[in-house]
Amino acid sequence: MEITREEIDHLAKLSDFSLSDEEKDGLTTDLKNIIGYISQLNELDTEGIEPTYQVFEMENIWREDEILPQEADREALLNLAPAYLGASGVQDNQIKVPKVL
Amino acid sequence: MKYIPTIGIECHVQLCTKTKLFSEVDNDARGKEPNSCVSPVDYALPGMLPRLNGEAIRYAIRAGFAMNAKINTVSRFDRKHYFYPDSPKGYQITQFYHPIIGEGYIELPSGTKVRIEHAHLEGDAGKLTHFDTYSLVDLNRVDTPLIEIVSMPDIHSAKDAHDYCKELWRTMCYAGVTNGDLYNGNMRFDVNTSIAPEGSDKLGTRTEVKNLNSFRSVERAIEYEISRQKKLLENGEKVIQETLGWNDATGKTTGQRSKEEAKDYRYMPEPDLPPVHLTEEFINAEIKKVPLLPNDYRKKFGEILPADTLEVLLDYPDLMKKLGELDVKSIKPVANLFASVLLAEEKSVEMLSHLPSATQLSDLVEMKEKGELSSTAVKEVFLKFFDPQMGKKDARAIAKELNVIQENDAGALEKIVDEVIADPACAQAVADFKAGSEKVIGFLVGQVMKKSQGKANPASAQQILRKKLA
Repeated sequence: MEITREEIDHLAKLSDFSLSDEEKDGLTTDLKNIIGYISQLNELDTEGIEPTYQVFEMENIWREDEILPQEADREALLNLAPAYLGASGVQDNQIKVPKVL
Repeated sequence: MKYIPTIGIECHVQLCTKTKLFSEVDNDARGKEPNSCVSPVDYALPGMLPRLNGEAIRYAIRAGFAMNAKINTVSRFDRKHYFYPDSPKGYQITQFYHPIIGEGYIELPSGTKVRIEHAHLEGDAGKLTHFDTYSLVDLNRVDTPLIEIVSMPDIHSAKDAHDYCKELWRTMCYAGVTNGDLYNGNMRFDVNTSIAPEGSDKLGTRTEVKNLNSFRSVERAIEYEISRQKKLLENGEKVIQETLGWNDATGKTTGQRSKEEAKDYRYMPEPDLPPVHLTEEFINAEIKKVPLLPNDYRKKFGEILPADTLEVLLDYPDLMKKLGELDVKSIKPVANLFASVLLAEEKSVEMLSHLPSATQLSDLVEMKEKGELSSTAVKEVFLKFFDPQMGKKDARAIAKELNVIQENDAGALEKIVDEVIADPACAQAVADFKAGSEKVIGFLVGQVMKKSQGKANPASAQQILRKKLA
């Protein structure tokens, strides 16, 4: 299966990756190989077989609707915010990020 | 050329569970500090696992029943990928392939049925506030449980769209699954509108107006879109399929970010959440908990109340429940009191949060029936039910305190009537009445009322006067 440069650009954009030209070249080859390898599965007849949604065969893992104290409080969590332009990434108890519209 | 609009609506309903959909954190962030209702799960820290809130499943069953829908016995969660600072995970957990609620319908007061395609559970995103060069992120709303209700394109006017949204809001409020606080975005509507020439079997290109939070803005945005699209077509131009925002102040729609293709969301099964398998017993037990819904009340009170009164009062679920507690003969007078007096008062909605007891209301109706209270006095006593000082007292005690109980005691009334007849100031009127002047009876009743300080029952006073002057 052919993977075009446009498809790599599109995937990079969706994944928010910034890639150099060499990386894109490498990925084009890699993805083509990976998809080719996985495509062998298409030879199997999976008619009537339930897709594998999960491998643990669990169901209905629910919890009660009760508020529980959290191990990490607001401050601890806010402190995880990455710096914004070399300064604190927290302002007015909110996380500061570049403007994206 | 005449164009027929076709409208489909997606509605997000915020569920009023105590905790969020996937973490044990307070779900009601109204009036709370930014980032104060959050957990490491909401921050999507490495290794964190979502933990499904069973109550959200139960609420979804009730909501599904309320919209006449099939509840799917197997449902699953999926990841919908996108990068935006309102979602630390980089994806939203939703139900793309196997939603919990299947096909259903909502019946509008006009009788029109709008079919529901499906409805699914999903987590909400955080809130962004934009400034000149940066944005601030508040994650309080991350993974608040939502039900997204997707209608079929069965709506063909802005008015019907308004009525659909309102009926959906009522239905969800009555079902008890949401606080229905529109001001705080508890219900948000995305509206798809297209127009096509009358008689055409092909739909036109549609636009989507996102994030409307009132019935009125739904109606206005659709009216605007219909006329905008019509102008484009009449000028030989094309409608572009795009996502728009609505500006309530300017009354116009404006272009937003370009919509990503569905496949660009790269949906995949959510591996951290096992599927939900529901038994019929479990579903039925939940359905039994659903109280009476707007249409049940329409059936219940339809014979007793005029449709317009009923539609006004239906906006208040607690009030309908209260009316249901009353004895049948009290329903109509009490409903009329609420409709005419209360809803005309300012702060009426606030007043409705402290409803009088069924006994207070029935007693009031009984006093009126016995002729102990005039219509004006009934309203006065009724309003005192909402008074913080007097509200707890029964109807009679309040009426006594207001000194508005009418004199019905025949003996006492007769005494007053005798006084009036004997009063020299009334001699001329008495003589005129005896001579056949019918209209002076009003003057004489007025005198009785005056002497009794307004407490006489005018009808009884007139009866006694006529008897004595016959």
